[in-house]
Amino acid sequence: MTDPAANDTPANDTPVNGTGPNGAAALAVDGIVSGYGGVTVLDGVSVSARPGTITAVLGANGAGKTTLLRTISGVVKPRLGRILVGGADLARRRPEDIARAGVAHVPEGQGVITELTVEENLRLGALSRGDRASRAAALSDAYRRFPVLAERRRRAAATLSGGERQILVIARALMAAPRVLLLDEPSLGLAPRMVAQVMDLIRRLRDDTGLTVLLVEQNARSALGIADQGLVLNLGKVVAEDDAASLAADVGLRRHYLGF
Amino acid sequence: MEEFLQFTLGGVSTGMIYAAIGLSLVLIWRGTRILNFSQGGMAMFTTYVALTVINHTGNYWAGFGVALAAGLVLGAVLERLVIRPVESKPPMNGVIVTIGLLIFIEGLAGIIYGAQYRSFPPAFSITGLRVGGVALGVSWNGVFTAVAVLAAALALAAAFRYTSVGLRLRATAFNPAVARLLGVRIGRVLTLGWALAGLFGALAGVLVTPSTFLYPNSMDSIFVLGFTAAVIGGLDSPAGAVAGGLILGVVLAYAGGYLGSDLVPLFGLAALAVVLMLRPSGLFSVSATRRV
Repeated sequence: MTDPAANDTPANDTPVNGTGPNGAAALAVDGIVSGYGGVTVLDGVSVSARPGTITAVLGANGAGKTTLLRTISGVVKPRLGRILVGGADLARRRPEDIARAGVAHVPEGQGVITELTVEENLRLGALSRGDRASRAAALSDAYRRFPVLAERRRRAAATLSGGERQILVIARALMAAPRVLLLDEPSLGLAPRMVAQVMDLIRRLRDDTGLTVLLVEQNARSALGIADQGLVLNLGKVVAEDDAASLAADVGLRRHYLGF
Repeated sequence: MEEFLQFTLGGVSTGMIYAAIGLSLVLIWRGTRILNFSQGGMAMFTTYVALTVINHTGNYWAGFGVALAAGLVLGAVLERLVIRPVESKPPMNGVIVTIGLLIFIEGLAGIIYGAQYRSFPPAFSITGLRVGGVALGVSWNGVFTAVAVLAAALALAAAFRYTSVGLRLRATAFNPAVARLLGVRIGRVLTLGWALAGLFGALAGVLVTPSTFLYPNSMDSIFVLGFTAAVIGGLDSPAGAVAGGLILGVVLAYAGGYLGSDLVPLFGLAALAVVLMLRPSGLFSVSATRRV
């Protein structure tokens, strides 16, 4: 199902961060078939996300949500399909090249490098930037936006709580000024209040910076609360695709695939 | 008492050689999880290169510098050409490749330079030092050995801690998957790790060869002790490699001095066995478990 809102607001079609032949999409995934070894996990998945939007990727365990993000970021190579960011097809490139092309992936389980300090984790995120001045500016931006990290800058990342770690890895992903942010289960293992804070943070990032976010979540209710559009995966295929409000209102869909 | 002092100081000096080899092994292990069995062979080869330069120019320090540079280059080239294909394969592949590399390098040295023992000049005097009539058991050359390795190790630690390159090296060692997602070019980082390992190996080679003489197998036993030092300190820990080298050097000096040099290999093995039984991850390993 195409997003009906796209025709109502021409301003949204205006390219923000260098878009390609697909018109207004900041990220366009086209017919992706990918998996591990002999097992096919994604069986022809297409997603299109306009700049400055949050797209919720929902579905049960094993549906292929994490595989989708890992295919976009290059950890898994797709067998078929294209991944277009800023007009360039990034499919089959190496993960570090895709990251440098503006795609930031925050994996499931966060990926905090616990042997480093908070500040070292952040600085690591900025290393793909060319010059020292922009790296330093990115660091002070991060501390300004996330004061909790500034307070803990010299501490070993291992000493952070779950919620603080989630903030750290999102901040770290932003250090390279990505165009597209892939978030895999940011609410995993967090207390409800922390979940709300993290979701609010993601929403504010979209509002303030025009970032394009792909948000994989088991917690479909929270995800649809901040998303602009959503898609539901089941057994490697897209079974529903609509704006977030319509998905949340579809009781049958919610019960069948989303668990609420 | 005088003997104790001599053994201790002598042991510190030799121990730093083991530390240098141990550091090379740790640098490679951390980045690639490969144990570089050819580390000693690489060090031997760069020492031959140094000797050629020294003989042609008559200048020791030119040879010293060329050896270090050759170590950097050799490490980088080997990683790029020989090791890169096996980095993502099972560990046994890496073991076989590095053992094969060792055989190849030693054979090549034999062909190019011949198997005869050659003498290699020390940087400074090898006469034992005396302070107030007391023989210290170490020479200026021995002091230089310890200081050179320590200075190089401290420089490495500072580079790890304070530079962007060092941050990349550490991140790649701790969590390569996450580092890639952040845009770190893992391939280049691993090449650098091998280059640095080559550098430390070359340093160990020129420092120890005056006492062992130079021949294709001259670094074999040093390699074994350097490997032991690295395991004692913890294969993941550069500081551990240095500490392990010092401990091993001193322990072996006492064993050899008080009990006889025949027992040195036995004590090396015993030290290894004790550490593996009591603290298998090494004395200075950062953590027994890794949080992911």
